[in-house]
Amino acid sequence: MAEEAIKLGGKKKSIFMDKVKELLPEGGNLNLCLTCGACSSGCPATGLEGMDPRKFLRMAALGMDEEITSTPWVWMCTMCQRCIYVCPMKIDIPQLVYSARASWPREERPKGILGSCDMALRNESRSAMGASPDDFRFVVEDVLEQYQEEQPEFADMEAPIDKEGAEFFLNQNSREPVTEPDEMVPLWKVLHLAGVDWTYGSKGWGGENYCMFLADDDAWETLARTTINHADDLGCKTYLNTE
Amino acid sequence: MAKKSGSVMVVGAGVAGMQASLDLANSDYNVYLVDKSPTIGGMMSRLPCIGFRGVECQRNMSADNGAAPRSEDSFPTNDCAMCMFSHRLNDVGGHKNINVITTSEIRNIEGELGNFDVTLVDYSDDEKESKVQVGSVILSSGSQTFDPSALDFLGYQYPNVVTGEEFERLINESEPGTGRLMRPSDKQEPKKIAWMQCVGSRDINRGGNGYCSSVCCLYAIKEVSLVKERMGADLDCAVFNMDIRTFGKDYEKFYNNVRCQDGVRFMKARIHTISEDPETGDLNVRYMDEAGTVLDETFSMVVLSTGLEIPKASVELANRLGIELNHYNFVKTDPFQPVQSSRPGIYICGLFQGPKDIPESVTEASAAACLAGTDIVESRGDDLEKVEFPEEIDVSGQEPRIGVFVCNCGVNIGGVVDVNSVQEYASTLPNVVFTDSNLFTCSDETRDRIKEMIIEHKLNRVVVASCTLENRGEMFMETLASCGLNKYLLEMANIRNQAAWVHANAPDMATQKAKDIVRMSVARAANLNPLQEKIIPVSKHALIIGGGIAGMNAALSLGKQGFDVVLLEKDAQLGGFARKLHHTIEGKDIRAYVEELVSEVNANDKIQVMTEARIIGSKGFQGNFVTQVAVGSGDDMHNIEHGVTIVATGASEYQPKEFLYGEDERVLTQVELSDRLEEKGASDIESVVMIQCVGSRNEEHENCSRICCQSAVKNAIHIKKLNPDARVYVLYRDIRTYGLLEDYYTEARRRGVIFIRFDRETPPELKKTSEGLVVKIKDPVLQRELEISTDLVTLSAGVVANDTAEISRIMKLDRDSEGFFTEAHIKLRPVDMLNEGIFVCGTAHGPKLISESIAQAQAAASRATTFLAKDVIRLSAVTAKVDTDHCVKCLTCVRSCPFDVPVFNEEENCIEISETLCQGCGICASVCPRQTIQLSFYEDNQVTCKIDALLAG
Repeated sequence: MAEEAIKLGGKKKSIFMDKVKELLPEGGNLNLCLTCGACSSGCPATGLEGMDPRKFLRMAALGMDEEITSTPWVWMCTMCQRCIYVCPMKIDIPQLVYSARASWPREERPKGILGSCDMALRNESRSAMGASPDDFRFVVEDVLEQYQEEQPEFADMEAPIDKEGAEFFLNQNSREPVTEPDEMVPLWKVLHLAGVDWTYGSKGWGGENYCMFLADDDAWETLARTTINHADDLGCKTYLNTE
Repeated sequence: MAKKSGSVMVVGAGVAGMQASLDLANSDYNVYLVDKSPTIGGMMSRLPCIGFRGVECQRNMSADNGAAPRSEDSFPTNDCAMCMFSHRLNDVGGHKNINVITTSEIRNIEGELGNFDVTLVDYSDDEKESKVQVGSVILSSGSQTFDPSALDFLGYQYPNVVTGEEFERLINESEPGTGRLMRPSDKQEPKKIAWMQCVGSRDINRGGNGYCSSVCCLYAIKEVSLVKERMGADLDCAVFNMDIRTFGKDYEKFYNNVRCQDGVRFMKARIHTISEDPETGDLNVRYMDEAGTVLDETFSMVVLSTGLEIPKASVELANRLGIELNHYNFVKTDPFQPVQSSRPGIYICGLFQGPKDIPESVTEASAAACLAGTDIVESRGDDLEKVEFPEEIDVSGQEPRIGVFVCNCGVNIGGVVDVNSVQEYASTLPNVVFTDSNLFTCSDETRDRIKEMIIEHKLNRVVVASCTLENRGEMFMETLASCGLNKYLLEMANIRNQAAWVHANAPDMATQKAKDIVRMSVARAANLNPLQEKIIPVSKHALIIGGGIAGMNAALSLGKQGFDVVLLEKDAQLGGFARKLHHTIEGKDIRAYVEELVSEVNANDKIQVMTEARIIGSKGFQGNFVTQVAVGSGDDMHNIEHGVTIVATGASEYQPKEFLYGEDERVLTQVELSDRLEEKGASDIESVVMIQCVGSRNEEHENCSRICCQSAVKNAIHIKKLNPDARVYVLYRDIRTYGLLEDYYTEARRRGVIFIRFDRETPPELKKTSEGLVVKIKDPVLQRELEISTDLVTLSAGVVANDTAEISRIMKLDRDSEGFFTEAHIKLRPVDMLNEGIFVCGTAHGPKLISESIAQAQAAASRATTFLAKDVIRLSAVTAKVDTDHCVKCLTCVRSCPFDVPVFNEEENCIEISETLCQGCGICASVCPRQTIQLSFYEDNQVTCKIDALLAG
């Protein structure tokens, strides 16, 4: 099917890409594309929805705002940054994609991501699976006790929660405590053997941040702040993001 | 103030440093040529082919043989310009005015222009320091190739991924004889090879070098051409690139020749990741074609076309010397002073000045030599040692006593031919009284030994069995002369090309053939006679044709060297095409510069300017030309005597026939757009569409006009600066902002200029509608039609040569099919013309930037100085002579000579061949039906005796 020609020229209008450029250092180099296609040949989302990173950027540069703010392709990007890694002009395509996501009405964004973000906003765990601080504490203590008993060489192992003044504050993807609690243990063992002084937090322990993937900046900030503030309150020196 | 030194120091002995040294040495300056490596030659001596066979080698041949017509389509020779280069290595090594200092570096330079104290450190001698006094300095320390290891995604860790330089070495080391290439991992012949362009260039991310390295496109094309020639049509070659930048003279033709071969693809793509199949060693490449399709392909080898960059040692040197560098560590220069560094008396040429190919490096080297010499012109000749040749030994009446010196040429000959057996055989031949064999017969040591043997054994003829007279003749002739033997008593037997190279797989046959060749040469040597060379005085005046930027710069440079100059301009005022321009891309004021040049020219009492001048006639030869010039409309005639000629007749902007040009006033050329921007600004412009390659890269004008991409970028940036809201679209085929110009291309994009690529086959369409001009083009990324409504359309019209048909006819100057004057060798002699004593500069030679024209003008002045600095010129004694008693005046020679030398003298009623004009090509001698013309040194018996000797074997 022959597509209609794209009309260009005429008086300059403000376009979506210009607004994104204002947000980014050096404008994210968004103007600099040489159309070499290196990004697209390495992008796992190339070809989905008839889109690829180069095409997406080209449409943005030509002011095709409607197309780039409506294509569902932006939700297929994994934010892996393979494009910017090899781009000779170091163009911040991921940020352009992110901004395009943010332009979507919140309720129209993909349900899975939206639901996970909303779940995390429900309580102070900031867990996308909705686990409460008490549930988390119960699971951690239960699993720890079991291992201390079954593996005497780890009888002294700890998995502290809210330990004041610990060196490291760790978060935890909530999939493990909720569905595969045993998978938390290997890291505990490593930390134990290394003699690391660490702690989980009862608040903000959920490591995953679906609000970021949702491009909901406020919610993303809420999640991040819960964690960081709690780490600060406990007097921890280093925040270890395990995600 | 102390008297200035008569010496110049040249730092870096690559192709540029060697050229600068030779120019200075031949202009009677003493030269110290310093290099940190143990040998001279630089990067060029590591390459098997400097590129561009086909066009180049044909030119090379015509330079050597004086053959006139050439076809651009075939590859008539297996030789490459390496011979010419190695000749030059010998010229430098053997020059009495050049002191080569190897394994050494500059520690510091104190003092000032005219009296520099240079501290050298010698790494081969326990870092011993020494001091040398010079008047000026040239830095030509070159560059290094980018190390691709840091770009982890390109797979340089895999054995079958190599850099361009490594690939050329593989070609060089490929199986002897068949020359078939083997890949590193398993020594198998590659079936598919991919080239990745712009590795370490045009990359502000991980590569770090935002500039274009200028040479990689051409070298990749050259590599494709070389490897296709060896491996044939079955080999698949794919060159992944963003733009192919064949902007140099005739490079586009070479690109087109290679591109249309079977199994050669040029793909517009950069690759994300190269991965290896560990089983096979093959390389997997996934790429996106222009239409947006992702393709997976497996290649046997990948070549990374790595760019150039400045080594750390050069940066440190510049810092020690107080020389300013730019943000990429190239030496900072002004567009109007392209070879001047920030420190007076220190000049710069070649890659340290900026990324560039060999012709521009060689040109800049001569330019730097010109300025470095000018600084100390009052001391010219003061630092030279006088070398006197002994009186010539009279060999008349002597029986031939022949010495034969057989060369191994390293392994070049010795690796195939049994040199000892050839030497033994030579000793059995008639008249041979001495034989020897040598590792390198052309080395200083061997030549000293030849001298000793000539004296000790009273040799009166010498045969060197190695390469050719064209290669090494001059050098061995000097060896003969230095011990009193007439230099024409030398014969060379070419056992390298004719035996070792062509029979590399059959050593026995090669040895037998070498013996045959030596037997023939010994027979010829016995028939050689001493010949006397004609010595002609040099008229120390220059004639410069064309008073534009190039002509004026050449005139000023020669005036400063102390020579009288007549500068001819066809128009009423000096300035040329530059008067129509406003600013360079760097923002320099061109008109102010032209005015400055004009007043400088007018104030220089060495320069006589003739405006409204027309050349009516010209005769003579190097050192002694007489040109007749008519000035004004009347009959004001001048006869100008001059020793050299510099052609600087310029070029103009193509007047388009395309895209409604001339029909619609909204369609302009780039030059007209510049005018418009100067006069009216850009506040009223909503959008502009620029169309590239109008009048270039098409059937009529096959070549690229080199400067139009930067013109478009310059004007696009100018519009955006004046009016950031204006939309600018540049429709292009390949953006060719080579070298440091790439920064401006990047800046144009940064400012929001949109670049849209099109193919030659699908050009944009321009339509006039009721709403205005509309340009239609297909966007290759979106694969959709674009319709751009625009206020202005700007055509990047190409560069066309000025009409020089008459001048070229009168002065017998060679031009190419596009009307640009032809240089003697496209890479190594870019300023000399084929006729001795005539030089070309500026856009008369081909499209170029103002900075490049200035460099070439200064270079032409330097080349001219090598003639004008001498009082006399010695001409070759190899000339044709007519036996007028037996000549029947059939005029076959008159018609056959490509140089129009034989003439019929009506008064004397005979054919005359001027000894001074004769180029010694021998065509007349071979076509003369009565055999009444003999070419000295190649007389009939001197040739037929070789045939007799061959048949007697």
